[in-house]
Amino acid sequence: MSIGPSRPPAEGRVRVAAPRAQATHIPYRTSVSQEVAEQSAVGEVMVRSLIRSQLRLALVVTAGFIAALLLCWALVHLVPTFADWRILGVPAPWLLLGVGIYPVIGACAWLYVRAATKNENQYRDLVDEK
Amino acid sequence: MNPGIGYTALILVSAITTIIGFYGLRVSRTTSDFYVASRTVKPWWNASAIGGEYLSAASFLGIAGLIAISGLDALWFPIGYTAGYLMLLFFVAAPLRRSGAYTIPDFAEARLESATARYVTSVLVVVVGWFYIVPQLHGAALTIRTTTGLPSWVGAGSVVVVVCLTVVTGGMRSITFVQAFQYWLKLTALAVPAIFILLMLSGTTGSGAAIPAGTELFPPSMPLSGDSTYSTLSLMVALLFGTLGLPHVLVRFYTNPDGAAARRTTLIVLGLLTIFYLFPTIYGVLGRVFLPDLAANGYPDATVLLLPGTLIGGLGGEILSALVVAGAFAAFLSTTSGLVVSLAGVISQDVLGGSVRGFRIAAVFAAVVPFGVAMVTDSLALAGSVGLVFAFTASTICPLLLLGIWWRGLTDAGAVAGMLAGGILCGSAIMLGAQTAADSVWRDLLTQPAAWTVPAAFFVTILVSKATAQRRSSSVSRFMTKLHVPERPLAVDNPRTQPN
Repeated sequence: MSIGPSRPPAEGRVRVAAPRAQATHIPYRTSVSQEVAEQSAVGEVMVRSLIRSQLRLALVVTAGFIAALLLCWALVHLVPTFADWRILGVPAPWLLLGVGIYPVIGACAWLYVRAATKNENQYRDLVDEK
Repeated sequence: MNPGIGYTALILVSAITTIIGFYGLRVSRTTSDFYVASRTVKPWWNASAIGGEYLSAASFLGIAGLIAISGLDALWFPIGYTAGYLMLLFFVAAPLRRSGAYTIPDFAEARLESATARYVTSVLVVVVGWFYIVPQLHGAALTIRTTTGLPSWVGAGSVVVVVCLTVVTGGMRSITFVQAFQYWLKLTALAVPAIFILLMLSGTTGSGAAIPAGTELFPPSMPLSGDSTYSTLSLMVALLFGTLGLPHVLVRFYTNPDGAAARRTTLIVLGLLTIFYLFPTIYGVLGRVFLPDLAANGYPDATVLLLPGTLIGGLGGEILSALVVAGAFAAFLSTTSGLVVSLAGVISQDVLGGSVRGFRIAAVFAAVVPFGVAMVTDSLALAGSVGLVFAFTASTICPLLLLGIWWRGLTDAGAVAGMLAGGILCGSAIMLGAQTAADSVWRDLLTQPAAWTVPAAFFVTILVSKATAQRRSSSVSRFMTKLHVPERPLAVDNPRTQPN
């Protein structure tokens, strides 16, 4: 297929041209989700940062929960006067370990799910940005 | 106790379970239905099913028995059982659902690209499952012996038969319905008698037993001693990290539609467990006062079964007793069938080619072996023996899952070495511990080994992985992306992508 002007170049001269120079220009853009799918360096960085933020979140909530457990244990075992408190005849240590600790578990779970979903939404917004 | 109560309850629960199982059969047609209920189970159904599966003999009978024996310290058991789900939610639920693997061995193979790792994981999963079924069968034997006077093998045998029937006919799909029903049955069976007993004791309804004047319902906890501190700590390590490796719990997460649904399911499960665990404490506390000779005679686990009949006389007492016995059977049936389904999945995929027929054969095999073991072993305290299974899981499968999901550096050699080290350490500690004298300084270390075997298993896994860094799976990046990147919302679910 001939390209360029119909007139041939003058004798002794060779026309040098890349065919692409005259191809229709297609704007070249890569979405971040494509980068992730293709495992490019950019995609890899994004995924690593998502994993890091999710892991950090899980570890922070776990640390908080274990601190709460230790506090309960210390109250029950190390504070003798704690056992003297009674609510409706039930001593405080029984109430704390039998009932009171469960809302703490539920609160930790709820906080985690909220924050983890937020992390994922942030990631998705970043990736889907055109 | 009137033996009629035991028979009625047993027959009713078995019949309802089988009927729901057959109802499930009508909607269960494909292989995918069989293995993962075609991944379309809604969070509420799934959460009820997980609750139904998870609340085993240890929760229904064991915790109350343990409270009757050891008082306040036993309350750490239900806390650990519930908090184990918290760890599952934080570290495992969503990524594992996204992994696309069906069983833990599938996960090991996909993550590590190693058939050896898969094989070792399969063996461990089957061992864990079998040792978890054994206490359930012991519980069934105890229940039948206490309520009807029939020999032990009848209780264990009937559980095995009903489980085989429902699993073989309906697979995972019908089991989901059965399990969900059984959670609510168990909750009702514990809650209704407990509420009646409390009303009666507070004097609002007629005559009946009353708390003897001057009885201390809540004896002060044991004085602080070093060994009890270590035991509590070790127990918490086992329960927190053991739950996330239990095969029957994990297999449930594959039936969620996506990772976000897996998280919602776990959140609901935590709520369901919280409500349930309020009640064993009531039974334990009252059992200490009204049935003190049970603990003395070595049958503390029968506290829940006998308390309603002892405290409430007449027809009301008999109905409430039947309800409790039915709930106990629901506990044995649901946990056992959950375990049998997950073990059948592993065995049939690794040995029998993953067909529906293979699944059925594997299910029968998975149920019959622990029956044999249960018949030749003696029943320990239920809560304690289930606690040991958690310790074993935490030392073997937990490092594989946690490091596999969150650490790129895990290699097949590291995972296998860690699982074997954890399994051998924990297994031999448990066996040595059973033979150690009660006053030995080593006894607590050996009977509650999780506090040192879990860190040891992690240490070995990481060390060997670092030493064999050249064996890292070539596809680890791709797999990590799959585990952690949120699924795209389906076009129909997302209003923003709808044409206006």
